[in-house]
Order: sequence, then structure tokens, then C-alpha cells
Amino acid sequence: MSYQFAQNYSSRRRQNWSRNQNNVAFVSAIKLGPVTHTVLIALMITVLGLIYLTQATRATGYDYETQKIDSQIATLNAEKSDLEIENARLTSLETVKNSSVATTMTAPVTTEYAQQ
Amino acid sequence: MNLELQKGSRSKALASIIIGIMVIFVFRLFYLQIIQHDYYVDIANVEQIKRLSIPAKRGLIYALDGSLPVPLVMNQTVFTVFADPQTTNNDSKIIDTIRRVAGGNARPDLQELLNMKESRYQILATRITRTQADMIKSENLSGIGFQEETQRVYPEGALASQALGFVDFSGVGRYGIEGGLDDRLTGVDGLLQSVTDISSVPLTIGTNNIDQPAVDGENIVLSIDRNIQSYAEKALSDGLTRTGATKGSVIVMDPQTGKVMAMANLPSYDQAKFFEVTDASLFNNATISVPYEPGSDIKTFIMATGIDKGVVTPDSTYENTGRIQVDDRIISNATQGHIGTISLQYAFNWSFNTAVVTVAQRLGDGSSITREARDTIYDYFHNKYRLGQLTDIELDGEVAGTIIPPTEADGNAVRYSNMTFGQGLDVTMVQVTAAFCSIANGGEYYKPTMLAGVVDKDGNYTPNQTTKLSTPVNISTSRLMREMTHTARSAFYTIVDKPGYYIGGKTGTSQVLRDGVYSDTETIGTYLGYGGSEDLSRYVIMVQVSGDGKSLSGPRDALPIFTDISNWMLNYLEIQPKG
Repeated sequence: MSYQFAQNYSSRRRQNWSRNQNNVAFVSAIKLGPVTHTVLIALMITVLGLIYLTQATRATGYDYETQKIDSQIATLNAEKSDLEIENARLTSLETVKNSSVATTMTAPVTTEYAQQ
Repeated sequence: MNLELQKGSRSKALASIIIGIMVIFVFRLFYLQIIQHDYYVDIANVEQIKRLSIPAKRGLIYALDGSLPVPLVMNQTVFTVFADPQTTNNDSKIIDTIRRVAGGNARPDLQELLNMKESRYQILATRITRTQADMIKSENLSGIGFQEETQRVYPEGALASQALGFVDFSGVGRYGIEGGLDDRLTGVDGLLQSVTDISSVPLTIGTNNIDQPAVDGENIVLSIDRNIQSYAEKALSDGLTRTGATKGSVIVMDPQTGKVMAMANLPSYDQAKFFEVTDASLFNNATISVPYEPGSDIKTFIMATGIDKGVVTPDSTYENTGRIQVDDRIISNATQGHIGTISLQYAFNWSFNTAVVTVAQRLGDGSSITREARDTIYDYFHNKYRLGQLTDIELDGEVAGTIIPPTEADGNAVRYSNMTFGQGLDVTMVQVTAAFCSIANGGEYYKPTMLAGVVDKDGNYTPNQTTKLSTPVNISTSRLMREMTHTARSAFYTIVDKPGYYIGGKTGTSQVLRDGVYSDTETIGTYLGYGGSEDLSRYVIMVQVSGDGKSLSGPRDALPIFTDISNWMLNYLEIQPKG
């Protein structure tokens, strides 16, 4: 690797702007031709495309996961709802009236009230 | 090396062809992607984007058990089992499984249905539960599918069926509270718009996704107490059996709030099987949709009017001759005798028509029912007691009834004399009960309501506020009318009440109009009364019994039903007896 001075024309204005700056630039000795540039750009585009596809696929994977959880929630809610209905039926007046406890009850002969 | 293509070389020709093809591609792509952009986007959206409606859950309906809400109407997911006869391959196993699991919900002719090989859809069983559906699914039957739907279920059976109404097959509430509050119960469906995969799984890709959740219907708590409702239905049923009446209705109302605690009608129907009802009149709630001539119950209102206007008191006297003339008509008492000077209280006890016509006359010039008297009666009956107009109770099918104003030709003295004992006007039971509450509670008219509150999605119950609409009579009038009705009841029926309580009421027996003529052989029996302590009325009960061609009376047929419910209410509400 070597360094060399670049001898470029600079206008007076540019010289004023560049005052106090080194007017030395690094120039690589490795030269990239147009074919290499094209290949590199194609590779970069490919990599970016792959990154996009990876992310999109991952997001879609989450969608399936979400769908599965939503489905489970819906099933559990439906089962909860069925249990609530069963609970309501078991505690309904008709069920209570016809229960073994209720059918063996007898009416009181007299009733007394506590005085206020 | 000089890479420049030589002029006229094959390479240059090939390059020109490739460039030409590329130009064609570019123009074609420009046309497809830029000019035809919207067209192809629309086609793609049709394929990729699905719009799914998220159905809102219909609100639940609760009743009260004391002060706690208990479910009266709920939603249950049920399944219809169908077969594609072209793809079924084990008919005997399918038939055995469906019959074993679905039981009475299975179609009787399963083999015939499965033999219809030209068909792709045959229903094998309906309304099976999720558990039953899971059992059938576990058999892995080929060609069998399931359709999910929601139906209303009634844990309390047919309790309060005419007050509740039902939801028809298109999901619309009909009759009762289902019809009256359909908008509040229905909710608003949500919308899910999303790009989906081939299995219709929504994906997050895409820029036009919409996730608008459904707004479920309101969960409504009725003011009906299931214990009171159940007892009222039983007492009414027993009463109809005892009296031979074929129709009956009962309203129990809280006079301090206007909340309906029970609303029973017979005959009734099972709302879970509304589709089996062949007589549509069974859907009607007679307490709100069948106006009738109230008979002597209305004497309570004309007496209250006279007292409130200061023209009479319970101790005021008049000369009872058993009949009284109004214009060209003679009005007689149903019970003859007791001729001479008697008090209005005494006449009220005996329910004399001459007494209430006398009150109407004293609202005028003292000897006739003048226009001024008729204006006063109309003002009290229609505007203050709100008879003959909709109460706006939250039930579908309410009918207003009719009170003819004195401004009309038919609003003459004869009609208004008839109105004082309950003929010549049409009112509903809920109107009469709500008006009587204002007399029993100190003079305040509360809007009759079926609603006690709402239950939010977390199950928290928020009670409603009551709505006081007006003050038809002042508090002293209310006190005197409570005494009058208590005395009237005590005069004949005190033995039937539990001792230590303050019960009052008025009997009514009204003739039925048949072809424009009052029938002598068909009457409706009613009883209208309150109960509680001397200081506070805790309930108002109105009973009506009737039947085609039946002669039913208030004291003989309706009053015992009132007494039955009243005595039970005293225990249920834990009201302390006096002394």
C-alpha cells in the first residue's frame, strides 16, 4: 500500500474553503472495474431481498402463531359459555324445586316474627 | 483489448435485438404496472384480501333474585350436522353415531338422506351441543361437516315467556323485551379485513388491513324477580283451574319505583320452541297489548279525583236510590238495596255505580256531569293517571287504548258517567297498575319499567335510576285512598289476609262487548290492590281472569289470586307485621 499526492486543480474559492485542511487524499491502488461494480450491486440487492423475505416470513410465522392462540381463546370462551349455561340450568328455580332436598321439605305449621 | 462492437457485426445485431426486446418488456411492464395498476391491484385484492364479519354477541337478559341478577336468556353455540352423500363411505357407522350422540335432534330418516347421492348437502341433525359435535368429530366420519350457529337458551324454561319474547331465525327480536329492546340487545358486528393465506389465516402483510372489533349487545337486567314471577305464574295457573277461566294475567309492581316485579300471562308458550306455536295470539302480552274496559277498578281513580279536587271526602254522603239518571239513561247499581243516605266509603265498599256518578256530578254543578266535570275527569284520567296512552314500557307491542275527550261528540255526559264505573274507555293492565301505584305510594307517578339495570362485560351490575313523571294526586289524597281501599277490602275479605299488615284493593267485574252490545253472560274479573305496612306500600298487584263465554267476577275469581300472591309476597319481602 502506498500513498501519493493527488495533484488536482483547486479554484481560489475552494482554496479559501479548504484553508487549514490537508490537501492530501487517499487513493486506493485497487481498481474495481464496471463488471465488479455490477456484481457487487447485484449481490447487495440480493442480500437486501433475502433480509426482506426473512422478515416477512418470520412475521407470517407469527400470524400463524397468533391465529392458533386466537382459536384456542375462542374455544375456551365457548367452553366457558357452555359451562355458564350449565351452571344457570343447575341453579334454575325448576331444578331447585325438583331437587331431592326441596321435595322432602315441609311447610312450617306456624311462623313467629322477631319484634322490632 | 478493444471491446467496442464492430459496426455491422452479429454481436451488434444481437445487442440491438436484445435492447429491442428489453424496450418491449419495459413498455409492457410500464403498461401493466403503471397504467393498469389499479385494475390488477383490484384483481389481486379479490384473491388475497378477505373481509370477515365478526358477529356481535346478542346481549344476555337477566332477572333478579332478590337483588342479584340471574341469567334468564343466554346464548349457546350449537351445530348443524350435514353430510355430502357423494363422499360418505360408511353409512351404517354414520347413522349409528348420529343417532347415538344427537338423540332426538337427529333426523328420523338418516338412511334415506344418505342415499340421495345426487345431493351434496343433507342435514342429519340440528342444534347439537359442542360436546356432542366433538363426539361425532372424534369418529372421523368421511363426508360429514358441521355448521356453527348461535341460539337463545332459557335456563328458567318458559318463565315470563310473553314478557321476554323470542329471537326469530333471522336473528331479530320479536315480541316482549327481545322485540322492544332489539337495538340495544343486538350490538354492532365487527369487521376484519386482511390479506389471508389459502387457509384464510389472516396475515399482517398488506397496507389495507382493518381490525374493527364487534360491539356486543347490552346485557340487560329485568326488574322481574324470578321468585315472584314463578309464584305469580303458579298462583295464576291455580286460579284459572279453580275458576274455570281460560285466560289470565297478573302484574306485580313496586309502587315506590314503577318497576315490574312480575308479569304473567296464561295461556303461555315455550319461547325455546316458538316455531311450534300455531296460535300467534299466544305471543301477545295481554297486560300491555290487549286493552279492555276496566270495570269497577276505575272507581278508585274517580274517587281519588273527587277527593283531590276537594269536592268529596270518604265521609261525604249522598242519597242512594239504587239508580241515577244521566241525560236519557238510567244507571243502576249492580247490587240493589242499601237505599237511603249513605257515605261514599260505604258505597265504595259495595261498589255502587250511583256513588261514582254522584262524584262526577259534584265535579260539575252538583247535579249533572257538565263540560267542566268532563274536562276534569279527562285531565285526571288521561293526563295525570296516563290512562289511554302508551306508557313506553320497554316491551314490544304495547297498545295505547282509548279515552274519548270531551271535545268530541262522543265525549258526552252519558259516556263520562259510564267511564266513572269503568265502561266506555279502553285501557291496558299496565296503565291501570302504574296509575294505581301513584295512589298507593303518596301521589307520585313513576314510569312503569321492566329494566332494573345493566351488567357490563366484566359482570358488574349497575342498577337503573327510576323515572318520576308527575304527581297526579297530592299526598293527602293518596293517604285517604289507601284508607278507603283498605276499608273496602277489610269490609268483606279481611279474614283472608295475614294479620298485622295493611292491605287494600278494589274489585272489578266488567262486561264484555260482543258485536257492540254488552254481554250479560260474559264478564272479566279483576282485582287491583296493594300490600305492605301502614306507612309504606311495598307492592301493587293486579289480577285479571277471563274466558270466552265465561262469567267471571272480581271478588269471587280474581281476588283469591291476589290474596294468594299477596300473602306470599309479605313473607318473601320479609315485611314485619304490626303488633
